Amino acid sequence: MKRLKEILADVLEIDEASITDETAPDNVDTWDSMNGLVLVTELETKFNIKFKMEEVTSVKCVGDIKAALRNHGVVFNE
Amino acid sequence: MEKLQEIIAQKEVKGISDYFTLYRRLNKMCKEREPSYDKALNVAILSSFTSNGIKESLYVKCCALGIFPKIYVSEYKQYTQEILNPESELYQSSPNLIILFIDAMTLWGDDFFQAYRRSDESRKEWVSENRDEIESLIEKIKTHSSAKILVHNLAVPEYSPLGILENKQGFGFFEATETLNRKLREVYKTDQQVFVFDYDAFCSKIGKQNIVDHKMYYIGDMKLSLNHMPALTDAYLPYIKSMMSMTKKCLVLDLDNTLWGGVIGEDGLEGIQIGPTPAGRPFLEFQHYILSLFDRGVILAINSKNNFEDAIKVIREHPDMILREKHFAAMRINWDDKISNIQSIAEEINIGLGSLVFLDDDKLNQEMVRTACPDVLVPVLPEDPSLYLKTLMDIDDFNSLHLTDEDKNKGQMYAAQKRRKEIKKTTTDLSGYLKQLKTKVTIEEANPFTMPRISQLTQKTNQFNMTTKRYLEEDIKALAIRKDIMVLSLKAEDKFGDNGITGVAIVKKGSERWEIDSFLLSCRVLGRKIEETFLAYIIEKAKNEKAKILIGSFIPTQKNVPARGFFERLGFCALEENREGCEISEYDLNKDCPYPDFIQLIRKD
Repeated sequence: MKRLKEILADVLEIDEASITDETAPDNVDTWDSMNGLVLVTELETKFNIKFKMEEVTSVKCVGDIKAALRNHGVVFNE
Repeated sequence: MEKLQEIIAQKEVKGISDYFTLYRRLNKMCKEREPSYDKALNVAILSSFTSNGIKESLYVKCCALGIFPKIYVSEYKQYTQEILNPESELYQSSPNLIILFIDAMTLWGDDFFQAYRRSDESRKEWVSENRDEIESLIEKIKTHSSAKILVHNLAVPEYSPLGILENKQGFGFFEATETLNRKLREVYKTDQQVFVFDYDAFCSKIGKQNIVDHKMYYIGDMKLSLNHMPALTDAYLPYIKSMMSMTKKCLVLDLDNTLWGGVIGEDGLEGIQIGPTPAGRPFLEFQHYILSLFDRGVILAINSKNNFEDAIKVIREHPDMILREKHFAAMRINWDDKISNIQSIAEEINIGLGSLVFLDDDKLNQEMVRTACPDVLVPVLPEDPSLYLKTLMDIDDFNSLHLTDEDKNKGQMYAAQKRRKEIKKTTTDLSGYLKQLKTKVTIEEANPFTMPRISQLTQKTNQFNMTTKRYLEEDIKALAIRKDIMVLSLKAEDKFGDNGITGVAIVKKGSERWEIDSFLLSCRVLGRKIEETFLAYIIEKAKNEKAKILIGSFIPTQKNVPARGFFERLGFCALEENREGCEISEYDLNKDCPYPDFIQLIRKD
């Protein structure tokens, strides 16, 4: 989770500590549709994976991102 | 501006998101307070699909170079309307550079996937229709803006429904796309305002398979993956650097393990690596490429820690050396430190440190020069010599938007300058020196062949320039056709070589009163009585056409001190100094003005 939070904080320019599973485009100003795509590109590069299109379009919040990452074998030590 | 550059320096830029983050930060700062800058550039990006990421990376890259950019991006797919409407935001953004990024998929539409439902004839029509369309859009831009226009060509597709039979068609899908590219290249080959950006070559370099991220294409109509936007803007930078005159002119080279493998002081003439062997070929081909840069006008110099006799023996005698003494405009082969050597090279050639690129295999030397002379470009030369050539080919700083004959010969001219200085050292009096040089000066009125160079000289000459008036090529053209104005170019040659066109004068001809609007000479031919010859020619012309008075003015700038007092020295009488500090003087044309000795004048009236 540490790495995911770092990436989110970096791309969305928000405080790492404020990020929860419920963090979503609705409650983060900088999370617009363009930045959403930047985020996807960044996650794919950093975790060396490729999301499916459906995974990208169905993401509604950070919790969904974690679920998608888990599908690709990313392990979170929470 | 320094503040912006600091911010960029602090952040490690790795991925595309870093460009977005930096862009937001820089943009916010600039909105709060516009930075102080001396280089600004307005760019407009017109594209046929979602091109987000170009603006952000271009913005960051410009700031890093010390250019303050304002970037306008047209609304999604609105480029045609914007171009056609003279009141559009496009034109209101007063761009200096307009990038027109139209892609093959857009132009083919659904036929991109069904290219063979069209006939050969219809594919030919596709070419001419799109060529006309693009041409007329560009013509429209030209009527409303004098911006440089960078138009993308099309990425030639890498798949065809016909597979291996694609190139057996009368006029196939690939062929049609390639033909459109070829036509664009032909139309704009000699255009000074429009440049075709080879997007097809860019895609090949990245790898066409990697260009599109398919899900992003379906989600956001992104036909170039976000990851490649920084590379694309890198490919735009040579155009921008050329527009902003931020290009490099001189390549300074180390010798041991840079121009040849090994150390001459230890390995000896037979022991060093250069020539047709696996170990020698990287250096051989590296030198071939350096020579081709020399041939396009890049000045060469040497900065090496060595015994002069050891190193010069290689340059003069080694049978496989490509670069010889005549190619170098300055040589520092000694035991002095590389920093003072590089400074004295710049002084000798008379160019700024900002015009130099320094190539040295030694990491310590690289770092030393980088720190002491931040204006010098010091690329990281990889440890493996087989990668030297690629490293040099990737340096895009030797570009220019025009290449005049003078530019192409610059390397040779500077190398000849070195030999001129050598005889000056051995000759003590000036007239003896001039006599030896056998200078030949050709003066003629501007013609279509000389106009680009005349304009370039008015733009670039700072030191011996009486009024520092800058003229675009269009301006020179307009002045030259006027009967009451004389635009002259001066070409200088001597026994060491042809300096090309190095002087310009623009004179307003009244019936009795003539006035010198511009008078300039490139500083590399200064002090050889050429300037005196040029002025004497103008005086003779004015006398012949029965003028009574010739007016000269001097407008002081930070840089034109060498030109101050020139008219007075040649017999002009100082008149007045007007409010702007412009010093006016006049010449009574009843007086004769003799031509200096030892200079052969060729009049091409």
